[in-house]
Amino acid sequence: MLREVERGLALPIPERVRILRELEFDLEELCARLVAGGLSEELARGRAVQALVPDRATLRELDRLHAPWYRRVTQHVTEDRLRLAERSALAIATASVVVVQTVTLFRFDLLRDPSPFLWPVLGLGALLFATVVTQFFNLWIKGDHRIPAQGLSTILVLAGATVLTGFGGMIFDLYRLAGTLEKAPDLADAVAGAWLLRDLTLLSISILLALGGGLAWFLLDQWLRLVDRARSDVLGLKITYPPKRRTTRWSS
Amino acid sequence: MTEKDFDVQGFARDINELLILSTLRSQAKHGYQIALDVETDSNGLFRFRHGTLYPILHRLEAEGLIRGSWSKGGGRRKKVYSLTGTGRGHLSGETHRVHEIMSRLMQVLGHRDEAPA
Repeated sequence: MLREVERGLALPIPERVRILRELEFDLEELCARLVAGGLSEELARGRAVQALVPDRATLRELDRLHAPWYRRVTQHVTEDRLRLAERSALAIATASVVVVQTVTLFRFDLLRDPSPFLWPVLGLGALLFATVVTQFFNLWIKGDHRIPAQGLSTILVLAGATVLTGFGGMIFDLYRLAGTLEKAPDLADAVAGAWLLRDLTLLSISILLALGGGLAWFLLDQWLRLVDRARSDVLGLKITYPPKRRTTRWSS
Repeated sequence: MTEKDFDVQGFARDINELLILSTLRSQAKHGYQIALDVETDSNGLFRFRHGTLYPILHRLEAEGLIRGSWSKGGGRRKKVYSLTGTGRGHLSGETHRVHEIMSRLMQVLGHRDEAPA
């Protein structure tokens, strides 16, 4: 019965769980009180359900009352326009962050002559930022819990790619430095220090971006686990997050 | 002093809210207790069905007339509602208004009864 009620609520999971917990307790207690008052269990259950379980109209009223502010504000906007507006806002936000980041970085003398690998690292960082913002937006602003699991893996992949690109770039640059110094050892004093500093900066930036992505992933993951556990607990369902990987059985 | 325009549908909703607020006057209660007390106190005349209690409770909570708080007991989480100071003031004011409306209604009905055949 609680599962049916849950299916009728178009609300973010935390809101649904709160409503269902309240209903669950009240149903049990009212049923117990009616039984203690002399009714049979079946009758008591029927009376309790009739009194407390919301019908469709009541579920719609609950949806209206508890809808996220974003949904209330955008309810008169068509789906296509809303999607376009969201994507445009995300593109503008990402572009702004990239511009501000680049301008800020170039204020430092360290990056006057950056490693060529800094650009793919910053590009991956921008993608990482866009993915993290999308996930936070979906979960906390729109209250949409349907898709986040896929987006979370993407965050980890991008964070990993960022640090690997930084690390790989550093190794490649060091290899080039070694080659240069082999051909012209007298350049060692002039070139080596600056080159090493440049590559350490590249590595630091890639690690920082990856750490930021990792932290965002951790927060989102923990939140989803909490929400899923609460939902499974109140509905008596198995925990569905994180999704179990399918394992291949090899027949002997 | 201007009077509020009388709206029948709004009045029905106000009655539901007043019933809930009045049961919370004496002590904090769970949702099921509120439903039970309203039915018992009115000898079955007023009865909440199909979960209509919950949107009203949540709306009153959002308006600050009641306060909902969660507690844990027996391994279960439960929500209990209590009347706020604002809720007490609202209850008092609206009870007076309902009194006025019912008095005027009885006045009209009383005049109709006296009208010649």
